[in-house]
Amino acid sequence: MLRHRFSTEDFHRMHEAGILPEDARVELVEGEIANMSPIGKKHAYVLNTLVDLLSPLRGQAVLSIQNPLVLGPFTEVYPDLALLKPPRTRYRDRLPEGEDVLLLVEVADTSLDYDLNVKVPLYARAGVPEVWVVDLARDRIHVFRRPAGEGYGEREALEEGELEVLGLNIPVQEVLP
Amino acid sequence: MTRHKISLEEFHRMVEAGVFPEDLRLELVEGELLEMSPIGKRHAAKVARLTALLAPLVPEKAILFVQSPLVVGESELYPDLALLPPRPDFYEERLPEGKDALLVVEVSDTSLRHDLGVKVPLYAKGGVPEVWVVDLEGRRVLVHREPREEGYKEVRPLGPGESLSFMGVGIPVEVLL
Repeated sequence: MLRHRFSTEDFHRMHEAGILPEDARVELVEGEIANMSPIGKKHAYVLNTLVDLLSPLRGQAVLSIQNPLVLGPFTEVYPDLALLKPPRTRYRDRLPEGEDVLLLVEVADTSLDYDLNVKVPLYARAGVPEVWVVDLARDRIHVFRRPAGEGYGEREALEEGELEVLGLNIPVQEVLP
Repeated sequence: MTRHKISLEEFHRMVEAGVFPEDLRLELVEGELLEMSPIGKRHAAKVARLTALLAPLVPEKAILFVQSPLVVGESELYPDLALLPPRPDFYEERLPEGKDALLVVEVSDTSLRHDLGVKVPLYAKGGVPEVWVVDLEGRRVLVHREPREEGYKEVRPLGPGESLSFMGVGIPVEVLL
């Protein structure tokens, strides 16, 4: 028996028709409607920290927080943070897609396995050039660069040092709570 | 990350909102939408033959639902055949539920595992009093009676030379194999 896959178009139609409960935090992952875990205080704090640290990039990138990102016909996810190619008006009439992303960040508390094993391969396939996964349980940041097929050619896990994005340096220790 | 379980109500609203193409055959099985396999000619012929054999009961003694919806708990299944108590509206006002059914018949060629492992337990839980599974490969009919929460208490395999009987209609097993 084949599980039915919803397209992003179906997903939008369901939202418009008010079929999924208003307060449901759901995303579409390879045709499947997935519940997103509630955001804990540590997760929220780290995301706010990242917004602060990345704010000097205003003008150079669009800072998109927990907003939809379309990855192919069957996937629409809500990454914690995405730096998108400017200008902002580029996304007035359409949702951003993988190739619009400059950097994507996920904050993972309980969802680490899912982020690393399901989300990251989806980002690679969609051509997202760089992904940071902040691992709150082990206080480290997994960095993925050079998307190639289902994975990334370059990956490392940082507990200290600095990350760099668009010429801006981000100290790892400042991101971690 | 957990899969969003689709409720009966959501499923019906999706159908109304035109989320699915008309020709898609879907079953809602415990929150999951499954695409039903196309019906082969052997399967179709057996269903037609059963329909003919049970037709004398219609409409005074029973209503015959062929590959039509039957609600069992939060699932909506499409059994090959369901005999239901007569109603003047032929169930236009509400879909029939498991406890309404008099008899359910499933014809299995490639779907035996799904029928026995997933659907029959749901029929039992939904209170369907009797289920026949026509096992075309195994050349037998499995008659299930006495539904319990955990399954049918009585399962009797009938082979060629034996006979099924329901509401006074006798059916030799071999005509179904």
